[in-house]
Amino acid sequence: MKLLVIEDEQGLRENIMSYFNDGNVCESCATLADAIYKLSNYDYDCVLLDIGLPDGDGFAVLDFLKKNKKDEAVLIISARNSLDDKIRGLNIGADDYLTKPFHLSELKARVTSVYRRKTTNGNNMLVFNEINIDLPGRVVSIKGSPIVLTRKEYDMLLYFIANKGKVIAKNAIAEHLWGDEMDMHNNFDFIYTHVKNLRKKLLDADCKDYLKSVYGIGYKFLAE
Amino acid sequence: MKLSEQYTRASIIIAVTVLIIGSIIYFFTINYIARTQLDNDLGEEIEEVTAYINTNHHLPKQLDFDEDITVFIKTNKIELPVRYFDTTYVNPKEDESQPGRAVSGLVSLGNQHYEVVITESREATEYLIQFISLITIGLMVVLVFILFLTNRFILNGLWKPFYKTLIEIKSFNISDDKNLELIDTKVDEFNELNTAVLTMSSNVKSDFQNLKQYTDNASHEMQTPLAVITSKLDMLIQDETLKPEQYGQINDIYAATNKLARLNQSLLLLVKIENNLIDDIDTFNLNTLVEDKIKQFNELITNKKIELEVNLSPKEITASKYLIDILLNNLLSNAIRHNVFGGKLIITLTEDQLAIKNNGPPQIMNTDTIFERFQKSNKSEGTGLGLAIVKNICSRYKWKICYSMDNELHIFHVDFS
Repeated sequence: MKLLVIEDEQGLRENIMSYFNDGNVCESCATLADAIYKLSNYDYDCVLLDIGLPDGDGFAVLDFLKKNKKDEAVLIISARNSLDDKIRGLNIGADDYLTKPFHLSELKARVTSVYRRKTTNGNNMLVFNEINIDLPGRVVSIKGSPIVLTRKEYDMLLYFIANKGKVIAKNAIAEHLWGDEMDMHNNFDFIYTHVKNLRKKLLDADCKDYLKSVYGIGYKFLAE
Repeated sequence: MKLSEQYTRASIIIAVTVLIIGSIIYFFTINYIARTQLDNDLGEEIEEVTAYINTNHHLPKQLDFDEDITVFIKTNKIELPVRYFDTTYVNPKEDESQPGRAVSGLVSLGNQHYEVVITESREATEYLIQFISLITIGLMVVLVFILFLTNRFILNGLWKPFYKTLIEIKSFNISDDKNLELIDTKVDEFNELNTAVLTMSSNVKSDFQNLKQYTDNASHEMQTPLAVITSKLDMLIQDETLKPEQYGQINDIYAATNKLARLNQSLLLLVKIENNLIDDIDTFNLNTLVEDKIKQFNELITNKKIELEVNLSPKEITASKYLIDILLNNLLSNAIRHNVFGGKLIITLTEDQLAIKNNGPPQIMNTDTIFERFQKSNKSEGTGLGLAIVKNICSRYKWKICYSMDNELHIFHVDFS
């Protein structure tokens, strides 16, 4: 996947770049002018767009893409948690809207999902080694035989696969599953239960044990 | 009461009072003048009688003098002062009695003294007075009527620009882009008022814009560093050589960052609610939303083995779905978080109120300060803004939120009326 990160905050930009730097081609820029320049010269699969740029409004990028009939998937990362901005962004062609601060794992899950929606034409199967996921039907099969997952377990599995090979903090998982409005107050017993159940179901279906617990911080879904 | 109505009332009361007092004085004056006139006439009659007797040396025949009735009574009195008095006049031709005025005096024929009494009909004078009174009353009624009409139509017309301005001010919406449409009038005061209102509204609007800008900027400026911290931590934990103690430290930083982000968002939300920046009004079923929320919190509820009792009757409300979602989130998460293991949670929705009752700490919280910012129990891990937000959302929709405690249950209820 070829990715363009438009973000003026250097620290954040670098982190996004290095987090996505496994099998993806990442480019970045910090200003609106650079972004327009890059987008008019190259094609990308996905654009991460910060709305508040030093030399202008990030919405201009969306307008530019629309005017030039470019079909990059766009994910807005904005500091403004404003309903108006969200609606406006989604109306003029953005595919998703993420409010700062966010976990990199959340960002990656969203980008993967947006990218998948843009690229797959009808064939909406996600294949990871022996795990086969029919996305529209929400059916998970291991080595051809389907297993039954609860909604949370299913969401969690997709989230882990999108972030395979990364250590994910428990609070990032909690925010993903329950949303950030619902204050879990660092009560992560739920996650433990859900992870335990998911792992058991996968193992029962003769799946390799991908889920590793990283003591004290969270979990890791092995990439191989 | 409207100004014109008040003015009309006052002016009519004053006019009527003045007219009544005036007509009473008028009536007595006319009466007095008429009577004086009559008395003068009668005085002249007496003189005529005296003159007649002096010339002709006999008493005049009765009815010799006009329509008046003259009576001579022999008397021994030598002196009798001239006296005027009211009496009854009997018209000899028609033989009917009418009010009359009489004069008595003394005349002498030779050595014989006579008391002479001349009676005159007062009917003509009475008639005149009645006529004048009638005209006066008629004039009074017409005057009051005209006064009423004038006040009603002319005054209302005069005040029209004022009411137009008032309507514009009432419909003034601070977040609206359009300016007030005020009409020019011939009245200086109203023009001044319009200018003042226009200046004020544009000042308020520009202040409001600044505030909005500030809210946005503050949000942006604080959220980005928080995003940097979170992403740095996300990267840091990828290093699996870290020791559990270090992970523990990182977890604490995560928690603090998370709390800071929440706090920031809550503060911004408060500012937004207080300044009516959220105006996505929708009509929806509150009972459905509450049901959804309960489903969302289901895991937390079962985890604490909370006994849930839900009683929802259909209730439609018109409000921002976003805000109501936050309101329910805050109330429910409090009711669960502060609940005891195996405690009760009773949610009741009726046509006029939403009540959430839950077990919790045995002692009642301070009812005066519970809805104020940063008022929280020491053990609470919340931001201390949840209930302040709830209160602001309620007052935004003119609902009433109350806290009380009954039978070990903490009760929050929202009155919609």
